[in-house]
Amino acid sequence: MSTVPTTTIVSSTSAPTFAPKTRRMTLKRRRQLAGVVFALPAIALVVAFIGIPIGQAVYYSFTQWNGATSTWIGTSTWTQAFHNTNLWTALRNNGLLLLSVPFALALPLGIAVLLHQRVAGWRIFRSIYFMPTAISWVVLGLVAERFFAYQGTLNSIIHALGFSHFSTNMLGYQSEALIALGITFVFTMIGTNTMLFLTGLATLDPSLEEAARIDGAGRWRIFRSITLPHLSRFIQLAFVMTVIALFSALFSLIFVMTGGGPGYATTTMEFLIYETGFNQGDFGTAALYGLILFVITGIVGVVQLRLIGSNE
Amino acid sequence: MTTLLTPRTESDERIEPVSVKKPRRTGRWILFGAMIVVAVVMLYPFWVMIITSLQSENQFLSGGGFSWLSWSSLTSVIPIGQEVLSSTIVCSASIFIILCVGLPAGFAFSKLRFRASTGVFLIMVSAMMVPLQAILMPEFVNVTKLGLTGGYFGAILVYAALGTPFSVFLFTTYFRGVPDELIEAGIVDGLGYFGVTWRLILPIAVPAIATVTVLQFVQIWDDLLVGLLFISNTSERPITVGLAVLAAGRTTSIPELMAGSIISALPAMLVYLGFQRYLVKGLTMGIDR
Repeated sequence: MSTVPTTTIVSSTSAPTFAPKTRRMTLKRRRQLAGVVFALPAIALVVAFIGIPIGQAVYYSFTQWNGATSTWIGTSTWTQAFHNTNLWTALRNNGLLLLSVPFALALPLGIAVLLHQRVAGWRIFRSIYFMPTAISWVVLGLVAERFFAYQGTLNSIIHALGFSHFSTNMLGYQSEALIALGITFVFTMIGTNTMLFLTGLATLDPSLEEAARIDGAGRWRIFRSITLPHLSRFIQLAFVMTVIALFSALFSLIFVMTGGGPGYATTTMEFLIYETGFNQGDFGTAALYGLILFVITGIVGVVQLRLIGSNE
Repeated sequence: MTTLLTPRTESDERIEPVSVKKPRRTGRWILFGAMIVVAVVMLYPFWVMIITSLQSENQFLSGGGFSWLSWSSLTSVIPIGQEVLSSTIVCSASIFIILCVGLPAGFAFSKLRFRASTGVFLIMVSAMMVPLQAILMPEFVNVTKLGLTGGYFGAILVYAALGTPFSVFLFTTYFRGVPDELIEAGIVDGLGYFGVTWRLILPIAVPAIATVTVLQFVQIWDDLLVGLLFISNTSERPITVGLAVLAAGRTTSIPELMAGSIISALPAMLVYLGFQRYLVKGLTMGIDR
């Protein structure tokens, strides 16, 4: 693409003697012009609603800002923010929730392998497994809230198992609410990740497994030495998507299930941004928290880009 | 990348079972049992929603009984018709914009490459990774200053902008599989670039359009944050937002909330089950070979 300007110059100097070539060059220019015109609306939309706000977030993170008026206070927003325990609580909560990621990968992997055995009716099972993925996390949060509630399903199960004196109220306690949120998160990710792994398994060459089996490899050996390495790219992609969801898609669940509480026990970065900006009216600090989230997801995003890019 | 042009999952399904070794009989029953268990877990939310919605509030609190009360009083508690309409308007308008800007841009980035188009494309793809929460404050203030946070327009624009990077990526990848000769032939025949896009590219792009539409529909229909903050008129609230606000308020009866949840879940689920194939494609975009 970088050769474009030079060829244009060449064509204009040699034009009189070489009419067809000139026509080709102008065609090329017209094509490029069309390209710019076609790409412009998308670029404009993304720049206006994603690009510019990133710049603004940087600017406003150095100001005292309530949405209407902003005064430049330099880095003191930053020092204040880093001395704010809420920020560290939110980061810690996100960090702890990362512990749920292995489950959000292993369970779908198991389910995908299960579906891949193609037992009778596996297509129906596949549809059933994917069904919760269609529902809003708001609705799933509502259901999860009922599951963990004092008079909810979890306690019914515990009582049915014979532990009748024992009752939990996970969402009501600081120490347990985050675990309940993590379990719900794992559940919400199952459909998407299973779908990813199933697609990966479908691209696996069956003759490889066949050959290994003839060579006397057991099921577990085949899974470990053939299936798992083949799926590595899909597992990486699922990992990245799960982590990004963890940092940017929990809002609905938290909003419905706990409202960030008890205390700040289930406030993650994204919820802290919302809480700081819209409940406390501190737009400057919220913008700064946004930047921190931006950097975190940016790092994860670079990994994903490299995964996608390595294919081309 | 050309794999998108052929319905690959279907063919894969047909090839596979032949060569997969049939597990032994007892093993099969164990497998089947495990699948049933997973199915029960995955169907749990639906079971809760249906059972709970078929109780009155008192029955729910006492833990038994059956009643249509929550359904008959639903519209008086939640303006369900209005909210479904709002969701539909916001979804269709956003998706329409996403397609209108995404398709030509994808065509441009794949076939009408201009100076720096690769760089611009990469920046565009990176924008996919920016979560709205990261730029929430400036975004909100900007849209407010434009006077668009009352009704649908602000939310539609934000959804459109958030969905555009992915659609550009998907269309670009898709159009790379289209032969250059086709476009050249169209130009030679005097169609012009708009003509080529309209007459040649658009018909080819139908599967990609379907993928973008289905993915964005589910995403926007199910979203809370944008609808919650960018649509301040309660009379124009989408259904997901309406439910979330009622749920967070903790004053609405649970059976009625569940009835509303079922209604909100239906459209996305129908789309999901009907167009599963497109969803899988969109999801594994760029990784399946």
